[in-house]
Amino acid sequence: MRHVEQVMGTAVSIELADDLPTATLASLVDHTVAWLHEVDRRFSTYKDDSEVNRMQRGELTVADCSADLRQVLITCSDLWRETEGYFDVHATGRIDPSGYVKGWSVEVASRWLAANGSTNHCINAGGDIRTRGGPAPGWEWRIGVRHPWKADKVAWVISGHDLAVATSGVYERGEHVIDPVRGRPATDLRSVTVVGPDLGRADAYATAAMAMGDAGLRWLAGLDPAGYSSATVASDGKAFTSRRLPVAALAA
Amino acid sequence: MRRSTAAVVGTLAGAAMLLGVRLSATPVAVAATGSQATEPVDSDQVDRPAKPGRKPSGGASAADSGGDSSSGRSGRFRGDTVTNPYGSVRVTITVADGEITRASAAYPNEGQSAAINGPAVPQLNESAVKAQDADIDSVSGATYTSDSYRKSLQAAIDRAGL
Repeated sequence: MRHVEQVMGTAVSIELADDLPTATLASLVDHTVAWLHEVDRRFSTYKDDSEVNRMQRGELTVADCSADLRQVLITCSDLWRETEGYFDVHATGRIDPSGYVKGWSVEVASRWLAANGSTNHCINAGGDIRTRGGPAPGWEWRIGVRHPWKADKVAWVISGHDLAVATSGVYERGEHVIDPVRGRPATDLRSVTVVGPDLGRADAYATAAMAMGDAGLRWLAGLDPAGYSSATVASDGKAFTSRRLPVAALAA
Repeated sequence: MRRSTAAVVGTLAGAAMLLGVRLSATPVAVAATGSQATEPVDSDQVDRPAKPGRKPSGGASAADSGGDSSSGRSGRFRGDTVTNPYGSVRVTITVADGEITRASAAYPNEGQSAAINGPAVPQLNESAVKAQDADIDSVSGATYTSDSYRKSLQAAIDRAGL
């Protein structure tokens, strides 16, 4: 069963590949979609009464916010250190954990689905993907990494069963990722894809490496032994992959 | 890669850091470092003070309270790397005749980074980016808006499968 939901300012594609009754699959999709909207309501910086905005205004403290938000903020501060300050939820001058929340919410959804009967699914939230199991018994999921200059082509195909694949990038003139350390657009890299076990972290790492620019290449190489492999395209068209990247062999 | 557990700051690092700014004015008795001074590095050769005849100052002099300082222990001593919520720091002190003559704190690129980076410097494979058509289930790319989704390869895949 497939479903596309407009939520969190983007399109989320949900594919459940389990051999389950249609009504069961529909109910699983409904629950997933409801959770994503709940996350949007509670964590969006665009919604005036979201928990995040109430905390920004000082109406909510870390002590009395929800356990979810507290855990998100703790992980974000871990990520700030792990990325040497390049993943920064305060970069815009206010608290904005959106760079982690999207991946985290999909990670939570995928875990919930697995616990409730769907062990074969693929969720794509605006280009950040979490897969489990496979599209059919015995098959691995095949995830294309968008070519940064050619929207209808892919630069790599990543394959596997349980994958988190997150990409940060700039494809068109005028788009940019801000380097929060130097406070200017980061232009060395065109796109960074990080593959690993957790989508929230993979997303934060990809964003941080993008902001680091050329220095991010070395940092990404170091991420590989820790379980997060990567595929990067620099602005000059050079491509860099880390050792453990699960690249699928191309069909001729 | 979780947050490192904060280590207990040893008296060596603690004393040297607290007093660091005033070190040149107030030499600290080496005894304050107790037996926790870890590995001596370059003993007896670094930064020997050019102050012949200088005696340890203050009541708690090295000679009085130090265990092995009767001979005026000298050398450079490096503390363990200590991790606090702001990162890792390692303090090195230079001792001459039982007095700390110099202390420096290094902020090594290890600790949290080391957990990620590992001991060796790993490398990336380099090539030129290739454009492929491939049979895929989903596409990873920079976040699209609801609007740009409509023109994306992912939208085409969803339409084909819906």
